[in-house]
Amino acid sequence: MEERVQVCLFDMSRGQVEGQELDKILFFFPSNCPIPSQLSVVGLSEGLITFTRIFSPLTPCELMEAERHTHIFYQCEPDLWIVMVVEKVKDAEETIREGALRTVLKDAHNLFTFFYGSIRALLESHPRGDVARSCLHAFFPDYLSDFLTGKKFRIPTISESLTNRGTVQLFIPQRETLLEIQSLQEHLKSWFGGGKVRHVMTLFYNMLISTTLSPADASVLFLYATVRMLPSTHSRAPRSRSSSRRENPPGDPSNTLGFGKLRNLFTNLTTSQTAESMASPQTPRAYDLSVDDQGSKSSVPRPLQPEAWWKDADGFLCTYAWGSETGRVKVLPNVRLQGSEETLNLCVYQCKSVTLVMLVPKSGGSELISNLQQQLLEKAALRIQKIEEKLVKEWPGSNAYHVAGYRYLYSDLNNKVSKFSPANKVATLSMDSLAALNRIRAEIDLEMGRSERSSSLQDKELELCVRTKQNAWVIVTTRGGHELYTVQEKASNTLMYACDAVDKLSRRYFNGIFSSD
Amino acid sequence: MASPGDEGSRPNGPNGSLGSFSERNKREHSNPEIISALYEELFGEEDCERPCYLPDHREEDSRDAEQDGTVAREDKEKGGGDGEVEGESKKVKGTSAELAGSQMSNELDAGDFQEDLGARSETGHDDGIQDRDQEISLRNGASAEASFTERSVAVDGEFSSDRGLDALPSPTSSQGGTSGYMAGSGSSSASTSSISGIEAANEQDTEGTGSRKEERGARVPGKRHTEEDDSHPSWRRHKKHFFILSNAGKPIYSRYGDEHKLAGFSATLQAIMSFVENSGDTVHLVRAGDHQIVFLVRGPLYLVCISSTDEPSEVLRGQLELLHGQLILILTKAVEKCFLKNSKFDMRPLLGGMDVVLSSLIHAFSWEPATFLKAYTCLPLPYGARQAACGALQDMTDSGALFSVLMCGNKVISLVGSRKTSLHPHDLLLLSNFISSSDSFRTSESFSPVCLPRYNSAAFMYAYVQYLNKDTCLILLTADPNDFFHLKECRAQIEIVLRESNVLREVNNSIERGGLRIEDMPGSEVGPSESGSTRGDRASDDGASTSAPEAVPGAGGPAGLWHFIYRSTYLDQFIASEFSPPFTTRSAQKRLYRAYQKLHASMHNAGGGGPHKMQYRRDEDHVLLSWRTSDFELYAAFDPLAEKNSAIFVCNRICQWIRDMEAEVFLLGATPFNW
Repeated sequence: MEERVQVCLFDMSRGQVEGQELDKILFFFPSNCPIPSQLSVVGLSEGLITFTRIFSPLTPCELMEAERHTHIFYQCEPDLWIVMVVEKVKDAEETIREGALRTVLKDAHNLFTFFYGSIRALLESHPRGDVARSCLHAFFPDYLSDFLTGKKFRIPTISESLTNRGTVQLFIPQRETLLEIQSLQEHLKSWFGGGKVRHVMTLFYNMLISTTLSPADASVLFLYATVRMLPSTHSRAPRSRSSSRRENPPGDPSNTLGFGKLRNLFTNLTTSQTAESMASPQTPRAYDLSVDDQGSKSSVPRPLQPEAWWKDADGFLCTYAWGSETGRVKVLPNVRLQGSEETLNLCVYQCKSVTLVMLVPKSGGSELISNLQQQLLEKAALRIQKIEEKLVKEWPGSNAYHVAGYRYLYSDLNNKVSKFSPANKVATLSMDSLAALNRIRAEIDLEMGRSERSSSLQDKELELCVRTKQNAWVIVTTRGGHELYTVQEKASNTLMYACDAVDKLSRRYFNGIFSSD
Repeated sequence: MASPGDEGSRPNGPNGSLGSFSERNKREHSNPEIISALYEELFGEEDCERPCYLPDHREEDSRDAEQDGTVAREDKEKGGGDGEVEGESKKVKGTSAELAGSQMSNELDAGDFQEDLGARSETGHDDGIQDRDQEISLRNGASAEASFTERSVAVDGEFSSDRGLDALPSPTSSQGGTSGYMAGSGSSSASTSSISGIEAANEQDTEGTGSRKEERGARVPGKRHTEEDDSHPSWRRHKKHFFILSNAGKPIYSRYGDEHKLAGFSATLQAIMSFVENSGDTVHLVRAGDHQIVFLVRGPLYLVCISSTDEPSEVLRGQLELLHGQLILILTKAVEKCFLKNSKFDMRPLLGGMDVVLSSLIHAFSWEPATFLKAYTCLPLPYGARQAACGALQDMTDSGALFSVLMCGNKVISLVGSRKTSLHPHDLLLLSNFISSSDSFRTSESFSPVCLPRYNSAAFMYAYVQYLNKDTCLILLTADPNDFFHLKECRAQIEIVLRESNVLREVNNSIERGGLRIEDMPGSEVGPSESGSTRGDRASDDGASTSAPEAVPGAGGPAGLWHFIYRSTYLDQFIASEFSPPFTTRSAQKRLYRAYQKLHASMHNAGGGGPHKMQYRRDEDHVLLSWRTSDFELYAAFDPLAEKNSAIFVCNRICQWIRDMEAEVFLLGATPFNW
């Protein structure tokens, strides 16, 4: 119980018989937590869920706030719940925002289904639950390891109040370049008579340039690309201004440790230390074989295994995270898009700073992939290289999105896109401003949640200007699914002046979406 | 009016007659002439008798509660016999919770209230009140400490004396014409009120509550939906539930539904809370969609609010604290000792008819800014008139009263504390709610023990309460239980001074005039400069630089001002403008009220970054502006299309306006709350 954070995933429909409550638990972190404590977390959670259903049948328990702990609830699938228990600390810097933590859980589930399909489907196909459990155990420790520095669990706190999890960061190049990229993407999709390459996503370093995926799928793939594929393949990322690995504080060794290391194909010695410390005894390794209900053996992939990606000489990214079949044959990473049963393979090509992710149906077999790879190298590699050169020229540098005088976060919630001040600039804000901002965001989260649930079709429009105790201005405007948070630390500003400044920012950088005319 | 269903469950017969006693009492009580006649009779003849406190009797009583009670009441005692009836009948409280009369008689069955009910039954027994009856009932009612002791002991089932509680008189031993009656039923003065409240006030003098009721949209006081329980969909749909339960899971109070039927529900709440407690933690809040469940643990009492209103959880928590304060106001903290002694202690009987007080407080949560501002409001009065009132009260306070308060409805006319002590705004709010929600205070002068939770939650004070006219109420607080006659004299003198100095007439004038109206704000037609000039004007430290007002034609005041609340930090007082169009409907007013609540909570949140200095907020409903300095807090609501700069300008002007009127709208010279 010394752990500051506990995460539990359980199925309320299982273990109904007295004495079999343990069967409810599909995953628990930390794994060395005594069984009675695990059961007590589940018991309390179930009790609260059942109780709150009396009054709020559609949206049962979301949060329990106690003197010493905060419990965040997320119902990821019907009857399947992820509960995160966070111990409160006195340190104001560690103040959490419920919304940020829930996004951590949502991201986890989105990634999980991206790789394994829905948990319910796994449970239905293997009612004993062992397959679901081994998948969860293969996935969650790796996912959570990103939040661990050493042995300490670092959860999103106020220092992240100007970032938005679960969103994509865009780099929009000049119009011509963008058109060229888009035409390349369409070109790729038209190969093999069309329809074979289902989707393409183009990344420049760890920013999205263009994709044919839906915003929801794009944000999941983008997350995966930025936390796993790219960090281990780019020899040098640009000075991070939009790194989604913000959970690791700057200077954290695990952030830089394995960058650029080419991994030997089949070594299994690469599990990072952090993941090792997390891994529970029952955590399967990458090649772990688990026996499913039919008694046949199948491997459980570990897609989030750290540093499991590397770049082959031909420019294609490879991974052993999905394990390997006999000898030399690579197991291709496969994923599922939302609302689709089809399994797709990932084919990733990298040319310096540009990464192309292509999704092709698994049914096409490895032949399709090798054809695609060959064709890409023959017909498109040069084009990609030219695009890369253009992008590098156009790239304005790591402080591209910095606007002097402002610290801001802009989110387009419909397209799951966000843009924000560079982390090193945000770090110059005083703790008090960040704390005030964090609090205001929590208030807005609540309000947005409320208006989402209410049947009103209109998007909530809100303008909020707060002068904090230390005379900073925190200004929030929301309109039509767009949100803009700004912090200005000019004590001399008046309300009018601060609002005008935000208006200017909105007009100049956000097409005036937030300006009222 | 005992319900017939209850009759069967009572083995000992006399209860039926008790039921009718209370009915008779009601009638009696509702007739002021009889009351005053009785009063004359009583005090004319027994001048020397201390009506409210008899130390000797207390000693006796506490020696052996049960026996002594019976002895004291001799053959007239009816309750004593019932008191011996064991717990069985206690459970059968029936569905008659709405009928205080029958409820009381049920409690009598249980032996919980033997003393008080003894007194009550006696008074009711013979319509013509005999001296002897009075004596006994006075003794019972007035030596309230003993009676409380006995009650708690009786409830425990161990009939030994409990001196640990001897600081605890019965909640309200009223004094006056029907002193005998009052002493008994007044032990929870609300018992009478709940009768009137539930029976739609038609038996009671309806005028008494008139003005407030009208003001609040003809709310029927007391508990509603008593027939429901947690299995009713309609019960689940109520927007805001309040529960009080013991840490053993016994229901004590529920805003909606019958507590007895909610025993299972309340056990669930208790289970959740104790589950978390067992892990060394305390649950504060559970959120599910639009619903928030807020928990508050106060000693052996659990208070829970389940709300789907859009109020911040801190606000709901504050409301639970007030609710707890209201309990303490009536029972003192000593009630906790009962739970320490016996975790199964059943507190419900002690609360008898307190439902109406709690319901009225809960209702105030959605219309009374004092509940979240931690401040009280004053009736606007000419400076001279208020000075005269203060002078009159000051003289009396010098002669013994701890606090003297002259109130009109929920507004303070004058408040004086002795030795520079001051009354916490919450204490004042709770006291005022207690008095205004209990109709018995309106009909006669009363002397009632109350506890001011913020002043001293462990001890009783005594409140002398007398309405000087329909709305104006004088409250004199003393620590001395023997002070009744002294305070009665004080009241007479104060009344004379108030009438002579025309204060009461000024009060009536003020009521007729109503409060501040934004339309009356001076100078709204004058604008210093045109808009836009403010861009460079950054002189103002607090960001509220002046700028042009734009006289917006149509509703409200200048620049689309709709409403405001100004709170003076040093005085712990606030002034709110009257509702003007468009706040003509109750729901619009409530929406604004809730928006203020939220804004206040957001401004004051003790969390990260500390309290804010200023906040401007625009949504579909309003523009809200809040401004906090070391001297004051201002909350103002504008038309959603109002211009920022003119709104700021108007806010500055409001502050100026209030400062100009300070002497009239505030009680100046009041010591701010300072402990």
